[in-house]
Amino acid sequence: MNENAEVLLISKSDLLAGIDKVLASHKVAALTTKEERTLYDFISASSEIELDYKPTVLSPKKFFFPQDEVIVEYTDDGKVTAKIDAEPMILFGIRPCDINGIKILDEAFADSNGDPNYLAKREKAVIIGMDCKAICDENAFCYKVKANYAHSGFDVMLQEQGDKYVVQAVTDKGREFMKNFNTTAGNQSDVEAFLNEKAEGFKDKTPFKDLDKLPEVMAANYNHKVWDEESSRCLSCGSCIMVCPTCYCFDVADELALSLKKGERIRRWDACMLSSFAEVAGNENFREDKKDRLHHRISRKFDYLMKKHGQSVCVGCGRCVRACLANISPKTIVEKITCDKGE
Amino acid sequence: MCESLKIVGKNDDLYLPEPARIIEIKEFTPQEKFFRVEILSGKSLGHMPGQFVQVSILGIGEAPISVSSPPSDDNKFDLCVRAVGNVTNKLHTLKENDIIHIRGPFGHGFDNKILEKMEGKELLFIAGGIGYVPLRSLINKVLPQSDKYKKVSILYGCKTRPERMYQDELEQIHNLGGNVELLETVDNGDDKWNGNVGVITTLIPKVDFDINNTIAVICGPPIMYKFVLQSLLGRNLPKESIYMSLERRMKCGVGKCGHCQMEGVYVCQEGPVFNYADVQNNEEVL
Repeated sequence: MNENAEVLLISKSDLLAGIDKVLASHKVAALTTKEERTLYDFISASSEIELDYKPTVLSPKKFFFPQDEVIVEYTDDGKVTAKIDAEPMILFGIRPCDINGIKILDEAFADSNGDPNYLAKREKAVIIGMDCKAICDENAFCYKVKANYAHSGFDVMLQEQGDKYVVQAVTDKGREFMKNFNTTAGNQSDVEAFLNEKAEGFKDKTPFKDLDKLPEVMAANYNHKVWDEESSRCLSCGSCIMVCPTCYCFDVADELALSLKKGERIRRWDACMLSSFAEVAGNENFREDKKDRLHHRISRKFDYLMKKHGQSVCVGCGRCVRACLANISPKTIVEKITCDKGE
Repeated sequence: MCESLKIVGKNDDLYLPEPARIIEIKEFTPQEKFFRVEILSGKSLGHMPGQFVQVSILGIGEAPISVSSPPSDDNKFDLCVRAVGNVTNKLHTLKENDIIHIRGPFGHGFDNKILEKMEGKELLFIAGGIGYVPLRSLINKVLPQSDKYKKVSILYGCKTRPERMYQDELEQIHNLGGNVELLETVDNGDDKWNGNVGVITTLIPKVDFDINNTIAVICGPPIMYKFVLQSLLGRNLPKESIYMSLERRMKCGVGKCGHCQMEGVYVCQEGPVFNYADVQNNEEVL
């Protein structure tokens, strides 16, 4: 976090009142409950916000990189147009693991081949982070990859302290956004008090052994027995990928309207754990074995893409662990490889 | 910090295909057709040998196809397509003057650095089946200036005689003489075939090359690379002297969709042309 950011304080009631004010002119997505499920969704009043975190099935990735999205439209008279939809949006209450996830997607989609569909949405979003003081459930392992702390990728960070929040707006967008709120001046000691409480909450929760060296460790264990052991239970269902905040592989397919007069090119989330993912013409399959597919997915997180992003690309949110019917966890795999006995 | 998002590049037309007209079609085999295409906007494709385009048929989809012609200044280029999927089967039903759409060129081909490295050397092209198609973008660049090279040897293997592509051109290459040689083989001969019978590796011992002054370029079906590499490395050709053009599934062509990844390498970005020394330790290459 930027240590020079101005520190503000806001009461819970002023925070919620400010959100209601913002809602008059902006779409706001926040943690909320629908049909007894906690999820990130658009809200119409601050009273719908869940301030205490409960794990969600999908991450806020879906707001920038939706499950399916039209990228090109065409008509039978030969007109072809790129379709890029985006509207201003406030993402409220995004936790550090998911902020780290967004940061990784940002780096992937804002490279030299910058993705217009992702970036249009991302550029119009204001991200309001909500720091965590403790692990959210037994499946999360954010601390294993140090993703329980977010250092960038957000506009404002909120840190709960009693009946108020410590506020740090670290970008121009964030400072502009905070003008909607009734705040008082705070100081660095308020931040430190929160961080002390957080450190206490994560006491004894230690990162993976040799976290920074995982790319080399993973490469050296290409043929470790863990790949057979863990993949033997894999159902190749792809659930782990559907819920992952940092998986961004996709498929592209055309769909014609029933009139046959127009059509759309749609991109959809795809999954390297599915058996057809690396299949080419003539049925040659470059990753036919589920062991190789598990190895590929886990190595993307801790080796291939970790080298590119300079941090673990698994953010330890625990969503894949909760979704997996076969009890496969990246945490277990890395611990077996590094002979780390866990916390 | 005034922005939480750092953008290196942004291209609103990244996924927007542009129209191109089919100006010539030849049926090479029942599965493979040749298409000469011109970009409607009049601009040149501007490709390197070894690059590919994403070919779109609106309403059906998009598929990565190698460019089969050498770089040129005009707006025309060649494709040779085997009908194996939705897009390629539909493409085979199209007629001259029909419109398709393209994106690209994509990937890393035989760039100027590689082309310069080849000058003065003996070139050894090894193509299996439809693997001749991408290599033709380089072969047809090299042949008109073959005096720049010490020798140009082209080894081409197909399953059967009728599956040979670009047969008229092969005939011309056979007749070139000088420092150009073309050796062909088929896996299964027939009564019209007088040439070599056997897999592509049976041709390699027939070629005399100086291991210190040769660049080999390989393209073919996945199984072929392993045996051709064994054969070349068995002759002590240095790994750095071997280039391969690889095939993978690709949906985006711009390093995002993940389908073409071999370990950490995106084939659509760093390939499809690779120096063997650079990827020899990548377990997912072969």
